[in-house]
Amino acid sequence: MAAATSTEESFKLAIPDADLELLRKKLDLVRLPDELDGAEWDYGVPLDDVKRLVAHWQEKFDWRKSEAKINELPMFTRDIEVEGFGTLNAHYVHQRSEVDNAIPLLFVHGWPGHFLEVRKILPLLTAKSPDHPSFHVVAPSLPGFGFSGAIKKTGFKGPQYAEFLNKLMISLGYNEYVYQGGDWGHILGLQAVTHYGHKHIKAWHSNMPLPGARPSPVKNPLIFLSTVLSAFSQEGRANMQRAQQFAQQGTGYSKMQSTKPQTLAYGLTDSPVGLLAWIYEKLVIWSDKYPWGDDEVLEWVSIYWFSRAGPGAAGRIYYEMANGGTGNALDGNVWQSVPLGISYFPGEVVRLPRSWSHLIGKLVFEGEHEKGGHFAAHEAPEGLVGDLRKMYGKGGPAYGVVPGKDGYSA
Amino acid sequence: MSDFPVKEYPFTIHVPDADLDLLQRKLDSTRLPDELELDGSQQWTYGTPLSSIKRLVARWREGYDWRKSEAEINKLPMYTRDISVDNFGTLNIHYVHQRSNVLDAIPLLFVHGWPGHFLEVRKLLPLLTEESADHPSFHVVAVSLPGYAFSEAPTKPGFGAPQFAEVFNKLMISLGYEEYVYQGGDWAHVLGIRAANMYGGRHIKAWHTNCPITKPKLSTILAHPSLIPRILASPFVKDAREAYATSKRYLSLECAYMKEQETRPQTLGYSLADSPVGLLAWIYEKLVAWSDDYPWTDDEVLEWVSIYWFSRAGPAASLRIYYEMSHGGTGDFFHGTQWIPIPTGVSYFPGEIVRLPKSWTRLLGNVVYQVEHDQGGHFAAHEVPERLACDLRKMFGRGGPAFGVVPGRSGYSLKKN
Repeated sequence: MAAATSTEESFKLAIPDADLELLRKKLDLVRLPDELDGAEWDYGVPLDDVKRLVAHWQEKFDWRKSEAKINELPMFTRDIEVEGFGTLNAHYVHQRSEVDNAIPLLFVHGWPGHFLEVRKILPLLTAKSPDHPSFHVVAPSLPGFGFSGAIKKTGFKGPQYAEFLNKLMISLGYNEYVYQGGDWGHILGLQAVTHYGHKHIKAWHSNMPLPGARPSPVKNPLIFLSTVLSAFSQEGRANMQRAQQFAQQGTGYSKMQSTKPQTLAYGLTDSPVGLLAWIYEKLVIWSDKYPWGDDEVLEWVSIYWFSRAGPGAAGRIYYEMANGGTGNALDGNVWQSVPLGISYFPGEVVRLPRSWSHLIGKLVFEGEHEKGGHFAAHEAPEGLVGDLRKMYGKGGPAYGVVPGKDGYSA
Repeated sequence: MSDFPVKEYPFTIHVPDADLDLLQRKLDSTRLPDELELDGSQQWTYGTPLSSIKRLVARWREGYDWRKSEAEINKLPMYTRDISVDNFGTLNIHYVHQRSNVLDAIPLLFVHGWPGHFLEVRKLLPLLTEESADHPSFHVVAVSLPGYAFSEAPTKPGFGAPQFAEVFNKLMISLGYEEYVYQGGDWAHVLGIRAANMYGGRHIKAWHTNCPITKPKLSTILAHPSLIPRILASPFVKDAREAYATSKRYLSLECAYMKEQETRPQTLGYSLADSPVGLLAWIYEKLVAWSDDYPWTDDEVLEWVSIYWFSRAGPAASLRIYYEMSHGGTGDFFHGTQWIPIPTGVSYFPGEIVRLPKSWTRLLGNVVYQVEHDQGGHFAAHEVPERLACDLRKMFGRGGPAFGVVPGRSGYSLKKN
């Protein structure tokens, strides 16, 4: 068991009554817009959905009940020094398996996700079995998200996130570990393996495989050729159309957050219904027909509403990582030799040709699924964990990648 | 004031006490975000600065007096009128109508954009309607676009450029102005192109824009081969290069609001309808970024934003024009427009957000008048009303390129002194 440093503290969520009261007051004062006849999802989140969710929030949703259940998770905080940025207080879930030599796994969320996306995979990953490997799981809130401290200065970019994450794992005694993420979890994973690959990160897995650059006909002739050929397959064409549709119609939120996150922050911080609509739109559009329950949605949005840095802070990751909109968050990433596993989920937002996964890194595992979208750990936990077990289990391509911690009981 | 034979329905704004009370209670429960530590010149980098918002919210809560604004605005001659629009039923349209003492003044329709509104005509009104032997006068109609201020909003999808133009034209005709001229910037410019295409010649005799953007079509370029050498020379012309740089910066860094409004106006609309500070920040960012060092006062800003907050259809409705005009982000605003044969006047203001090379302006239409300014931005009528009024006077006055363009309405008194 890792020795707790002097700054590690057990963490329990206890949102002050005054904060709950303010939320209640704001919900009472809610002023809704109208809607065009027959608009449905064409113009954004439908009014009926919002009305129903607001009513539920006012009358039925019980935050204290959610809070109590979340507090059953093993949560902690500890201070992490990030060079040039001082001390950031990290909030994280840390669940050890009863298998001593379980594989240490860092799970990283994205936007509009959060640490609770680990909830359903936690018991599956840590479960002991002779038939599959077990993991010790660490799932932090990224700085500015959930219950981690806020970033105070500009310029907190890829290397800083990677430093934060690596130092967290090392401080828990996990000098060598594996990494899993999607959304920003994927993009930060690229950063993490760039800086700490091999030495600390022995392998990684992503459920949102986006490369740093497109294939070049000169540097990646085979991938380039396979991309051209994929245009002739029905699936290839459908994916390209979907990607184009996303670029044209689905990127307003990211352009906004990449260029003017502060302007956006005022509405999201002041209006619960504004925040609800902003996030709920993605929960629905980016998932694979996942049957969201009203309590589930409201609990999800409440994590943002009650977050330590406020709901507006989270959007800044877009600005920092894309240089205020002048670049692209994936720019500059090069192929990494750390073993990489990918899971392909049909409902993922942008689906590139499979061959492009080889541009990201040393691809050793691919898992294909019939169901599940962007929030894979939440929507398809067994599917995702199944892939991790195959990748890291006995006979798998990344078996024993962390020396002395193969995931099985001795 | 001369007798006006057409029946009009006067309009006064009276925001219900309950609405003022709700706003006050919301302001009193404002929850503000944090902000990164930024030094002086970096204040606006991430968006509207917290210090500005704190100051404006404090004033809004205590000090700013909406009833006082309302009373002042109600001194303007405002009316409403039902206008039927093909396939959209009847919309009750709000407008200002100020006649000049000069009987034969030129009827002028002034149209606003986003985040503008009808009050942008306020400073122009006395200048345009004023009688003088030295310059022409105008009868001014300033309309609130459907979905803005006190005009009703359309209730179904598809209300695009032809529908807006139809509202403009029907309004003017219903007031007895069968032939008139048009002035606008921002959306009013884009809609003006369509209005000129549909009603130019027959009803719209000439038009003026302070925001001359266009999307050059190959067919237009080929129809005007004499322009080709000047267009090709653009990269080598200093003012063209500067214009490119400004426009490029706008397109990459300042256009996110447009993308969101084109694609998901409803989602954004929930914040703007529910949060006064959210609406304030959203609009104030543009008032500052798009004006040319204009010295906005807090009360001026709050009055401006209040028009949106208290608008008949609510702030979310005002965003939908972006969706309709771009087909949900898949098309461009200029789709379906043609080169404009009627006399076209252009004023270039240095603070305008998108500046194209001047040689491209002739791709817009039959440019008979161009003038360049060294002061003024996107909200020209509000920032530099004397300059804009002067431009219109020169364009339409005696000896000007559009003098007498409306038959029988020269803009001058027949009386001799």
